[in-house]
Amino acid sequence: MKKHIYLTLLIALMSTFAWAQNNYDVSKIPDQLKQDAVAVVRNEQKNFDVKSIGSAQYDYKTAITIINKAGERFSNMVIGYDKFSSIYGVKATIYDANGKKIKDYKSADIKDESASDGFSIYNDNRVKYLNFSNTTFPYTIEYSYSQDFKGILDYPSWQDLKGFGVSVEQSSYTVQTAKGITFRFITNNGLKTDSLKNSDKTKYVWKSENRPAIGSEPLSSGLSDVSNWVLASSNDFEFDGTKGNLNNWKDFGMWFHKLNEGGNVLPETLKAKVQSLTKDAANTKEKIRILYNYLQQNTRYVSIQLGIGGFKPILAEKVAQVNYGDCKALSNYMKAMLNEAGIHSNLVLIGNDMPSLNKNFASNRQSNHMILCVPQKNDTLFLECTSQYKPMGFIGYSNSDRDVLLITENGGKVVRTNTYNAKDNYQIRKTKIDIDDSGLANIAIRTNYGNAQFEDNFSLLLKEPSEQRKSIISNNDIPGAELIGFKIEQADKTIPIMTDEINFKTNQLFTKGGEKLFLTLNQTNRKESAPAKVNNRKTHFSVPYSYNDQDEISFTLPKGYAVEFMPKDIDISSEFGSYTAKFLVKDNIITYVRTQTMNNSKYPPEKYNEYVDFYKKIYQADKLKAVLTKI
Amino acid sequence: MKIKRSIYLIGFLCLSLSTYAQKKEFKFGKVTPEDFNAKPFGQDSAAAAVKIFDVGDCYFEYNDRNGFEFVFEQHVRYKIINKNAYDLADFQIALYRGSNSAKEDVSRMEAATYNMEDDKLVITKLGKDAKFTENFNKNYQIKKYTLANIKEGSVIEYKYTIRSPFTFNLRGWSFQSGIPTLYTEYNVKIPEYLFYKPSFIGYYRPTQTKRETINAHYVTGVNSSAVYSQYVAENVPAMKDEPFITTMDDYISSIEFELMATRYPNDIYRDFNGTWPKIVKDLAEDENFGLFVKRNAVAKSLLPTIIKTETDTLKIANLIYNYVKTNTKWNDSYRRYTSETNPKTILEKKTGSSADINLLLLIFLKEAKIDANPVLISTRNNGAHPGNPIISKFNSVLVSAKIGGKDIIMDATNNDHFLGMVSYQSLNHQGFSIDLKSQTGTWIALEPSFNDEKIYNYSLTLDKENKLKGTMLQYYKGYGALSLRNRYRSNASETEFIKNLKKDKQGLEIDSYKINNLNNFEELLNEELTVTIEDNVEEAGNLVYLNPLLYERTKENFLKHEARTFPVDFGYPKKESIRATINFPEDYEIDKLPKGGVFKLPENKGSFTISFLSQEKTVLVRSVIEINKSVFSPEEYFDIKELFKVIVEKQAEQIVFKKKS
Repeated sequence: MKKHIYLTLLIALMSTFAWAQNNYDVSKIPDQLKQDAVAVVRNEQKNFDVKSIGSAQYDYKTAITIINKAGERFSNMVIGYDKFSSIYGVKATIYDANGKKIKDYKSADIKDESASDGFSIYNDNRVKYLNFSNTTFPYTIEYSYSQDFKGILDYPSWQDLKGFGVSVEQSSYTVQTAKGITFRFITNNGLKTDSLKNSDKTKYVWKSENRPAIGSEPLSSGLSDVSNWVLASSNDFEFDGTKGNLNNWKDFGMWFHKLNEGGNVLPETLKAKVQSLTKDAANTKEKIRILYNYLQQNTRYVSIQLGIGGFKPILAEKVAQVNYGDCKALSNYMKAMLNEAGIHSNLVLIGNDMPSLNKNFASNRQSNHMILCVPQKNDTLFLECTSQYKPMGFIGYSNSDRDVLLITENGGKVVRTNTYNAKDNYQIRKTKIDIDDSGLANIAIRTNYGNAQFEDNFSLLLKEPSEQRKSIISNNDIPGAELIGFKIEQADKTIPIMTDEINFKTNQLFTKGGEKLFLTLNQTNRKESAPAKVNNRKTHFSVPYSYNDQDEISFTLPKGYAVEFMPKDIDISSEFGSYTAKFLVKDNIITYVRTQTMNNSKYPPEKYNEYVDFYKKIYQADKLKAVLTKI
Repeated sequence: MKIKRSIYLIGFLCLSLSTYAQKKEFKFGKVTPEDFNAKPFGQDSAAAAVKIFDVGDCYFEYNDRNGFEFVFEQHVRYKIINKNAYDLADFQIALYRGSNSAKEDVSRMEAATYNMEDDKLVITKLGKDAKFTENFNKNYQIKKYTLANIKEGSVIEYKYTIRSPFTFNLRGWSFQSGIPTLYTEYNVKIPEYLFYKPSFIGYYRPTQTKRETINAHYVTGVNSSAVYSQYVAENVPAMKDEPFITTMDDYISSIEFELMATRYPNDIYRDFNGTWPKIVKDLAEDENFGLFVKRNAVAKSLLPTIIKTETDTLKIANLIYNYVKTNTKWNDSYRRYTSETNPKTILEKKTGSSADINLLLLIFLKEAKIDANPVLISTRNNGAHPGNPIISKFNSVLVSAKIGGKDIIMDATNNDHFLGMVSYQSLNHQGFSIDLKSQTGTWIALEPSFNDEKIYNYSLTLDKENKLKGTMLQYYKGYGALSLRNRYRSNASETEFIKNLKKDKQGLEIDSYKINNLNNFEELLNEELTVTIEDNVEEAGNLVYLNPLLYERTKENFLKHEARTFPVDFGYPKKESIRATINFPEDYEIDKLPKGGVFKLPENKGSFTISFLSQEKTVLVRSVIEINKSVFSPEEYFDIKELFKVIVEKQAEQIVFKKKS
């Protein structure tokens, strides 16, 4: 009898203990964490234990409550790995709304696949993944695994907010290093770092608790301004048989420079070719142009990323044989050709479509691309070597206006790429619309696109005429328009400017309303809606790039129409940009002139509603109509 | 004069014969000046590349370990015209691996780039370091290759051999691709012991130029024969995508093969799938199909708790349907066989493929003594089933139940389906219904029993600040209800849903929102909104005007293109009614209302009606669009395109008020 009681007690104790371990009862989530949340991170623990400069153990465990269908995108486990790491001890469990275990997943449920980066023909990345699924919401998923690293370049980074609509009950990151190993880290402002040192280990801990979710916000520049985060990087490192250190950009650049030493030897035939191609060139710029053109005509981009090959360019000699390569191989190849022509150039590590490098914190993951820099006295050139089409020196808006790492024989040096401002990124459109007695309108549109706007429209230039035709028809907004003819060209391939000329006809230009005819004056470049206002916005916002649009439309009306009403001219300006619209009638000709200039910058959240107001005024101005009557 | 002409004619004939003769010789590495001069033709004259030839061979070999294996060889040559076609120089081959050691292998890969440099032919062979093997997952290995020295004007070719022990389906052949093809042929040699059914797919048919019996050797010392079929297509245009179709695969000219029967020496004729009766018999006896459906233990134990005392067959069907759809969640995969051995497992896992879920539904229906059958289908993305006895073209299964003399097709893969509704992907016009008991099968039409129907009722008052205030009542039926439920549930909360609802609806402020019958499938799904609308009323001098259809007006014709090659397939018929009542201020007057009208397509394929009425200080506008068919032929394309042109024009018309002042 006594024994029995004791046993029951023990079981009761044990179950309380288990309960405390992982109480995934959804009703225990504080209300403020459920607000706007599609998922709640209940408890995330990330541990990185660095044993030597070349080896570490990573332990990860997380539990996420999926609140509703919209949260299903967080209902999965994805573990990336490659030949420098191995995964073991994967456990995955799913719990119901009360925190009661539904089941443990078996190892057979976990899929293992090669991971495609979407552009490489081949890389050695792999992924283990599992999609959790339950018929009712909410439910909680929990998984954990360990990963051993052989060779470390990057330390894991950490951010508490995993996405819009995700709140955090608890999340922590611990880095532990063996004696003698140092590393560097930066965090967001205000995050506390706990450190603990004993004789053989140093431990750093960062924690985040009870962070409410942030609902999705339009034009957001991301959650990093409002999250708790840590970026960490090795100092001395060992990776795929090489050693280096990342103390600062100078040293990282040095490692990179050394990796590539001796890699830019050209075969004799190509040397001769370079000499003969450039021998009559008038000046250095002309030589660069000739060689860049040679590169574009003779090579193509093929990405193959294997181990250190993710950092070390393929030898120029090899590229000369096959005439293909990735960004590093092609940049290095171009550098070798320039070198042969007596022109000095530097490889550049760059974050394509990423923020600028952090000048004060060197780490590997801040760049994903390589271009070439040709320093010149007055105008330093940057060359994008993976494009078969880009005009020389045009690097596009995903590379422009950011801090990048120039690789020199003295190590790395942070420099800035060139900027395209609103004036450079233009779209200038002139339209003539002749309306005949029957109401049929003949429309001729001519547009010039410069720089970023050239880039946005460039793909049209490459299409077959039949596909260009389809694309023009699909993108047209003029009601009832029939495409009569078109011409798209880049008259001078050496500059980023293109032109198109399009002819339409339509008999639906006027909108009827009883006996009045309404003519929307902006037929060629309307903003069809303005973004919605957001109360209590949290994140910064930005527009993709600065630009300016200029439109001029002249309507020739047939006899027998009277203009009964014309809108008044409009002039709006704000820190986001400026806008004007002018409306003019003279005899039977209506002239409409519109200009819009937008400045790209990162704006603070509290400015957002002002931005919406500005945009809304543009929206309203763009749909202004003239009223006509037939006499 | 006469003589000369006939000589010319003969010369011409010889010429065409000799090019034909040249084409018949496909030797690797033997690149001719004609190859460098190959040009795209016809509508594709500006194509980025031309496929000069693409020749495939498929034949059998015998070995003691695996028995018959097929060998597939492909030899293809392209002329690259411009940089847009550089991707052709990167190619890959997917190889299947079975659960045991059986797997496909590739061998004898040869590939090269040819360039003319200063009138000299420069050959670059595929390099050793340009071959990659990716172990994609446990079933697929992908071999990848990349060719060097690609330039505008290069000719490239590759040739390889695949050996495969998986002989149920042979490697099929596409006669068409994204670039124009000058010549393509597929040679298939099938041993006398095996019988395959070819099925053709697509718009252009290849011509069968040969079907003859030839001598063959498979086992030493035994003389055998084989049937040699050759399919040829010349000057095949490039395939171009069009919107509103089932899948491009339905239109790309291709051929597929499925094993029908065997007749080995000293063995009888063994029918695999030669006829529908044989296919049906095999399905009825399959562990993962017919026999699975017989496993009724779980249904037996659960059924009383589901149907309780209900006796009406339709109501019972509904209870069972609701039970299955709410207790399982579709895992996004289509299957024709279940992957489980026990139906109970599906309820435990709470998730499964289309076959898992719908066969489970079938078990319950049968247990409740409802006359129900599985219906095999090929989904829209999987392409149309050719109709002849081919099992491998089916990729999913639905259930057909006879209730009250009516056939109801059920698909329990989506919790928001009504009884009798199938997913959009399953709307591929036909299904093969199988009576497991009598082992008979029949094709049935699978046209949707629901439309996509939406009804909007606006009752708004215009004030002098150019604001509209009032209510919007919106009703959704059939696929319209399915799509609203899906949208509603995809949002984190009602607040998020409303936020998204307002997107692109300029000036809409929602003062209150209510959705009714979200989880009640018996009643009409509807939304009640009280709204304040700005930005939709404009002023011009003393005129005030607005478009009464507001956000639901069809702003542009989504059928913009001039020509159509393939049928337009919407999946289901559509109906949209808008009724807007607008009260306006006392001192506004209407000069003249727009004219109403009725526009009908022949044979009641579709119609558009619009009317404008005013009474005292109220305007009433009604607009009804009906598209009564789900599929329109390319010829009918112009009819619906014209109909939508009228819709766009008429729905754009404004109501104009004059201010008394």
